[in-house]
Amino acid sequence: MAFKKRKIREAEIPSSSMADIAFLLLLFFLVSTTIDVDTGIGLTLPEYIPPEQQEFAPMSKDRMAALLINAAGDVLLNNEQISVNQVKEKLKPRIISKINLPKKKKLVVSVKTDRKTNYNVYIQVLDQVKGAYFEVRDEYSRKTYGRPFKDLNEEEQKDVRSKIPIIISIAEPEAVK
Amino acid sequence: MKFEKKRANAKQEIPTASMPDIVFMLLLFFMVSTTLREVDVYVKYQLPEAKSIEKIENKRLVSYIWVGNDGRIQLNDAIVKVEEIQPLMYKKRVSLPNVIVSLRIDKNSEMGLVTDIQQELRKADARRINYSTLLKQ
Repeated sequence: MAFKKRKIREAEIPSSSMADIAFLLLLFFLVSTTIDVDTGIGLTLPEYIPPEQQEFAPMSKDRMAALLINAAGDVLLNNEQISVNQVKEKLKPRIISKINLPKKKKLVVSVKTDRKTNYNVYIQVLDQVKGAYFEVRDEYSRKTYGRPFKDLNEEEQKDVRSKIPIIISIAEPEAVK
Repeated sequence: MKFEKKRANAKQEIPTASMPDIVFMLLLFFMVSTTLREVDVYVKYQLPEAKSIEKIENKRLVSYIWVGNDGRIQLNDAIVKVEEIQPLMYKKRVSLPNVIVSLRIDKNSEMGLVTDIQQELRKADARRINYSTLLKQ
């Protein structure tokens, strides 16, 4: 009797469509997810105090940098009309002059707007104020630690932050002329 | 004279066996680096641009408020009125004490509306806010 050797069938999983399936999955994730990073200007609003309990806290003129923005987009810094791009340069020397003063005497930037002011102008002004603070912080950390602010360790950053705190006060809304 | 066509002996095929691996790698990259879209935004808005901006470190703490170019306000997943922000945000703050409110406001809005929203947030004691902006190039 002769035994015939049976031919071995080729055993293979068809994998040519694997790439297609993977691409489909990839597309699904591309469509359904977002990569946007949340960037923006951070701020802490003041505590809400009902109008009848509000007290007028006097503050020395020297500490205060009052920014008024009217409906037409004109900017007033301490009763002097300036353009939006000048805000940073005007604020920087005042922040620098108060680095070594105690916490109670640091500069307070107050931003007040009209109800009709354009939001974009408001953001541009806030951007300038923040920019001024960031630049002063950077210069200060370069002078004392020899590195920019973002390269400092946590302890040093804390020190710089306490020396140059960002105090932006959003004034109670009222009409601005 | 006999002409013979020269023909290479090598296989003429692009090896595609590793293609799925490459695609899966891409897929993994996207799964890791992105977050799932949680809500549909019903309002149309265009963010303002600024230079001195920071990143929000902890995305889990963020709660969003959108303001569209038509003045409609969307809080998380629904269109709301200004007066409804306070109770909703207060509830949110109770469950998440240090919530950050990201304000995505159309750049042509008026400050009056923004101030109203801010007043509501102050009443709800959700005071950490972030004006969402794009980076100015």
